[in-house]
Amino acid sequence: MSKTQKIVFMALLAAIELTIWVIEGQIPAPIPVPGVKLGLASVVTLTAMVLLGRREAGCVLLVRILLSALFAGSFSAILFSLAGGVLSWAVMAALIGRFEEKLLWVVSVFGAIGHNAGQLLAAMAVTRSAALVWYGPALLASAIVTGAFTGLGAMYLVRALGRYRTKRSDSK
Amino acid sequence: MKRKTVFWAVLFALLAALGAGAYLLRGGGTRAAIYVDGALYDTVDLDAVAVPYERVVETEWGSNTLWVSHGAIQVTDADCPNHDCVRQGAITDGLVPIVCLPHRLVIQIVE
Repeated sequence: MSKTQKIVFMALLAAIELTIWVIEGQIPAPIPVPGVKLGLASVVTLTAMVLLGRREAGCVLLVRILLSALFAGSFSAILFSLAGGVLSWAVMAALIGRFEEKLLWVVSVFGAIGHNAGQLLAAMAVTRSAALVWYGPALLASAIVTGAFTGLGAMYLVRALGRYRTKRSDSK
Repeated sequence: MKRKTVFWAVLFALLAALGAGAYLLRGGGTRAAIYVDGALYDTVDLDAVAVPYERVVETEWGSNTLWVSHGAIQVTDADCPNHDCVRQGAITDGLVPIVCLPHRLVIQIVE
């Protein structure tokens, strides 16, 4: 893949991720606990990380977060997106080389836990309320379930997009 | 390979069950504490409410309209962009606080 092709591919991934994020936001949450959502957009981030690399996935994610703030129409949302996104990216970037690709869903679960932890910490910082820590167990449970699903989604997407891979597989 | 998959699946299933269990088993009382920007703003004894009434909490961050009834409290209107707190509906126990992030408002039922 040439440099230009790679940039175009990354831009496409960012656009796809943004679209998924906007559409998912229109679906009412099935569980009445704020912060619980499937997080389908992370499928794209994780796929980008496997196919292109950590840095490229970070770029795709940052572009998606910045643009999603425009679509959400509120600036405070960007703080929560960033807190969750950056922590999730860091956790997945640290773990992705340590798991074989058949265990990609495990990386995704840890990433989802990181995402929810980041958002919870941001919410606690904004409201300055330690009581929010009681959301923790619920957010952990939801992160495990949603992370496993989005991880499986990413595994199928990686398989389908295998020919766009530019990165050597770094799993053992 | 197979053993690792099973290991992680079992570990995560246990953790998820533990988290969900801890969350659901946490009980509460029937006094509502209203926090604004982390500081206690007011408490309302929900057991003592015989006739439901409307109450407006107006702060420098925005305004929320509460509906206070016997054993339950909810936000019925807010001038925030997302209305998450309104959609959450009434709470009757200490399981889930109502949080209005844009207005830094937290309503929790405490013992």
